[in-house]
Amino acid sequence: RLRAWLPRIMPVRWSRYNPSYLEPEVKKESYQKPLEELTDEEREQMELKAVRPIKAAPPILSSSVFSDPMISKFTNMMMKSGNKVLARSLMSQTLEAIKRKQLEKYHKAPENEKETIECNPYVIFHQALKNCQPIIGLSNITKGGKTYQVPVPLTDNRKRFLAMKWLITECRENKHRRTMMPEKLSQELLLAFNNEGPVIKKKHVLHKMAEANRAYAHFRWW
Amino acid sequence: QLNHGCALHTAARDGLSSVSSRDVPAERPRVVFHTSESDPAKHTEQHEGRLYNIPLEEVKAVFPHGLPSRFQQQIQTFNEARVMVRRPALELLAYLKGSNAAHPAVRYVIYGERGTGKTMTLCHVVHYCSRQGWLVLHVPDAHLWVKNCKELLQSSYNKDRLDQPLQASVWLKNFKTSNERFLQEIKTQKKYTWGKRESTEEGRPLGEVVEQGLARVRSASDAVGVVLREIKQQSRRGSFRLLVAVDGVNALWGRTTLRKENKSPVSPEELTLVHNLRKMVRNDWSGGAIVTTLSQTGSLFKPSSAYTPHELLGKEGFDALDPFVPIPVANYSPREFESCYGYYLERKWLQHEKAHTEDGKAELQFLSGSNPRQLDRLAGPL
Repeated sequence: RLRAWLPRIMPVRWSRYNPSYLEPEVKKESYQKPLEELTDEEREQMELKAVRPIKAAPPILSSSVFSDPMISKFTNMMMKSGNKVLARSLMSQTLEAIKRKQLEKYHKAPENEKETIECNPYVIFHQALKNCQPIIGLSNITKGGKTYQVPVPLTDNRKRFLAMKWLITECRENKHRRTMMPEKLSQELLLAFNNEGPVIKKKHVLHKMAEANRAYAHFRWW
Repeated sequence: QLNHGCALHTAARDGLSSVSSRDVPAERPRVVFHTSESDPAKHTEQHEGRLYNIPLEEVKAVFPHGLPSRFQQQIQTFNEARVMVRRPALELLAYLKGSNAAHPAVRYVIYGERGTGKTMTLCHVVHYCSRQGWLVLHVPDAHLWVKNCKELLQSSYNKDRLDQPLQASVWLKNFKTSNERFLQEIKTQKKYTWGKRESTEEGRPLGEVVEQGLARVRSASDAVGVVLREIKQQSRRGSFRLLVAVDGVNALWGRTTLRKENKSPVSPEELTLVHNLRKMVRNDWSGGAIVTTLSQTGSLFKPSSAYTPHELLGKEGFDALDPFVPIPVANYSPREFESCYGYYLERKWLQHEKAHTEDGKAELQFLSGSNPRQLDRLAGPL
């Protein structure tokens, strides 16, 4: 329960904040609404915010119009030993490299093909990730002493994670040692956007394995 | 009144011609700040904030070296070279137009904070001078001569000095591309001996000295010294006008990161290239101008917050360059920012949907602080 004499920071499972602390509000639109338009609940919320302390905003939360949660997730996965500055600069260089390649192709293409060429790096990134996501996965289930690879449905989060993980490991391991990450990543993303490349092949291999192990599907109990 | 009318007419013509030639969709009535005036001699205050086009063949001829690397990437992506006309450049061009060839060379030092456009101002002036037919001596970055040198040879001409064959040969190659016709016209006035069997007679065209420097890389630095000396002596006569454009002139009077064989540090005056360039930057010759830029980005042993001439040149450099005309370069004004933003939109460089909105533009202006380099870096991934 909440008491004034309790310390400001208290461990409650993962959160070390006192339960009285409220979440920060980052969206600009919520502060630009005039007083009259607010409903009663919102007015109550505003009065509560005047008296209660607010938690510190985590680094993932951004009020910028250009922030994208998927890009931030990808940057965090690329990060090594907490070097977010480097990971973010690599991500921005990758997006710039994709844009440059596509713009050069766009300017050289004849008039009728210009609409088909996609130049927006964000659209390419999202589409490439979507193309890389597997539909069904395999999980190890031990029955009668033997472990079987059982086909299993995946949650959205798991699909996104697998797509991003495959892209990053493909770039880190199977390329020439001296190529820079933005170069490798932009090449992989463009191939995945066109449904080509080693990551799409890996997804197809996983699908084939799941299809081959169809017989064990009844081992799944969830 | 006539001029006023003409100015309005050209402004309207510029605005209309840009709007009619490009398909600006009806829902974006943004006036794109282009100008069709591609001769820097005709740029005036009404062209301020506008971007003018340099044809790509001219870019290759006038700027074999000297453009910033990010600008070169931009030229390749957009397939055109657009340079913004800004106030410091217009000021410099006005001074150059009014300068007298008989008087000693005036020194101009372009200074400013990081990423405000000093190198681009220098390139604008170089373009103007090459259009006017001047001989342009463009040193793209003097810092490259005082650091990261793989080969240091002891000079055969003077035992105390050190040669840099690679840097000198690269510079000679680019000098040849940009000033072809002058190399045939200017004749040497003295006999130069390069070794036991090679020598250049008196009265031979300067092109031969450059060929000699490129063929025998060991004597490239001496060839550079000869070229500089000949050009300096002959500009006095008035047959051509000389522009000495040095980017990062504070490298000539600082410290170097180079070391001799016995691990003792090398000071700049022990390098032949730096020694000869210092002689060029002195104002004891007439018939031209010296335009230099200070640069903290490539400088050695200087704090990153230093941008004024006194801090970057040090006492020695300031006394050597004194008296000079200082030309400060600042961040974009609101009008210039609009112009740059509009250009990026028109060239489809800003692809993010939110970048086209007013919110996105306000955020870009805030995050970059109207600094040209920051805006370019921010607009890259967007």
